[in-house]
Amino acid sequence: MKAATRRRVISVAASLAALAALAVLLFPLYAVIVASFETNSQLFGASYYSFFPAQFTLENYRVVLSQQGSHVVSSLIVALGTALLTLAVAVPAAHALARYRFRVTALLVGSLLVAQILPSIVIANTLFLVYHRLHLLNSYPGLIIADASYAIPFGILVLRAFMLSLPKDVLSAARVDGATEWRAFIRIVLPMSRSAIITVALFAFLNGWGDFIFALTMLNGNTFEPVTLSIYTYIGEFSQNWGEAMALAVFAVLPAAMLLVAAQRYIAAGLTVGSVKG
Amino acid sequence: MFLLPALAYVLFAFAIPVGYNLLLSFEQTSPATISHLTAPFAGLSNYTTTLHDPIAQSAIVRTFSFTVLSLLFQFIIGFALALLFNLKFPLRRFARSLILVPWLLPLLVTGVIFKFLFQLQAGAVNQILLDLHLVHQPVGFEVSPGWAYLTVLITNIWIGVPFFTVLLYSALQDVPAELMEAARIDGAGAWQRLTRVTLPIIRPVIEVVFVLGFVFTVKVFDVVIGLTNGGPANSTQLIATWAYNLSFQEFDYGAGAALNTVLLIIALIAAPLYIWLNRDSLRGGSA
Repeated sequence: MKAATRRRVISVAASLAALAALAVLLFPLYAVIVASFETNSQLFGASYYSFFPAQFTLENYRVVLSQQGSHVVSSLIVALGTALLTLAVAVPAAHALARYRFRVTALLVGSLLVAQILPSIVIANTLFLVYHRLHLLNSYPGLIIADASYAIPFGILVLRAFMLSLPKDVLSAARVDGATEWRAFIRIVLPMSRSAIITVALFAFLNGWGDFIFALTMLNGNTFEPVTLSIYTYIGEFSQNWGEAMALAVFAVLPAAMLLVAAQRYIAAGLTVGSVKG
Repeated sequence: MFLLPALAYVLFAFAIPVGYNLLLSFEQTSPATISHLTAPFAGLSNYTTTLHDPIAQSAIVRTFSFTVLSLLFQFIIGFALALLFNLKFPLRRFARSLILVPWLLPLLVTGVIFKFLFQLQAGAVNQILLDLHLVHQPVGFEVSPGWAYLTVLITNIWIGVPFFTVLLYSALQDVPAELMEAARIDGAGAWQRLTRVTLPIIRPVIEVVFVLGFVFTVKVFDVVIGLTNGGPANSTQLIATWAYNLSFQEFDYGAGAALNTVLLIIALIAAPLYIWLNRDSLRGGSA
């Protein structure tokens, strides 16, 4: 009886503590959403911040949709491109590294681990000059190749770890039955690795969507501009136009929020496998 | 054949940039040399000038303090939350999924959001402090150097807490319940069970979390740019942001590359540790 009461007290106290922690962690998002429906005179003209504004406006969204739609499309292209490139490079490589033991396997896996550590600014600084020569600046392929620089090593390592855990007999049986290496890969390895592939694709997508450093260094804004870069230029130019900036920020955080709702278990899996974010 | 794309990619996106960065750091670059891949040899001059520059020096020191303080508080808060979620209560699944949100936002957007929250005039944080009577007038979070550093630090801690929480929570899940029960029966108090049973068991995960946390805190860039742009008066410049400034604002790619080499060396301190923690996967996976 006493133990039961104790458990109830702990349960209630823990719930309250969790709610308090969530309130602190999620307040910034609440503030962004509220601000995106406010006018600038409410946000900046006022001498105080109001937590529950009395009036709401859709004006910010009207402006953002008419002016920033193309940037959202650009971000989508970059994010999808990053996910596709990552899968195209990482899935076959992971398969090879999991299935065969080359003399260079340890070296290659080691260098992928080191590649994950390299700061993006180091890559950006030199790729900018290389791209300048190759005419890849201000291009989708150039930006996508750079944006995948985190997701590709991450993807190979996660997929390889997953593929190592797959039963080996199935693959051997298929080979005995006369399936080519390529067929066995397509017909057996890919379907069995589905969940790990989804996890890697999601992370690559979010990396491409959230990239700022490569967009900042490799685009001059004349060809296309992803949302992160346009928010940055926005607060630089119209530093007092918070309503519109926050409406744009809502668009920028939307994919993360939607993926969290739709694919939470893949995201949690990616994190615990030992993920990092660029 | 399956490996070819990966090898090509590693060469193009990692090996060449690192090698080229080293080369550049010994060259006398200028806006005019951008169109050539190489520039005149300059010896160590990029390193000596850059490292004698007080702004670069303080950026290096600041990167260290920023990393240490970030990791410390991310661990304390993350571990506390992990212990909290390890208790049984009705909301825990719901809370555990929502807690991931800060981790998934684009880092630049997080920086901009916190810039908005920490504003001097009509800023939410100032309003909370005023309402609680903790301050009598708004704090210039973004205009005074010391406060700006603290603001960036708090933002970065906010970003990293979910990562620490999720990894430490999953480690706590693996602590055998029988072991805790046995310790309880032997008369170990809550604190003793934590320090004598839980911590030793989850130590490998703690090591991984710190190494990974170190790796992505030393290269923090987006958050600073979105929040303060390195200001006021360069008081929030970190190595990465100052290297960006040298290369892309002052067009001194050689100087930027020299500072990048410093960042690279600091980041690579973690490499042997990281590889060692992953030693099982290097062996080809006995699993």
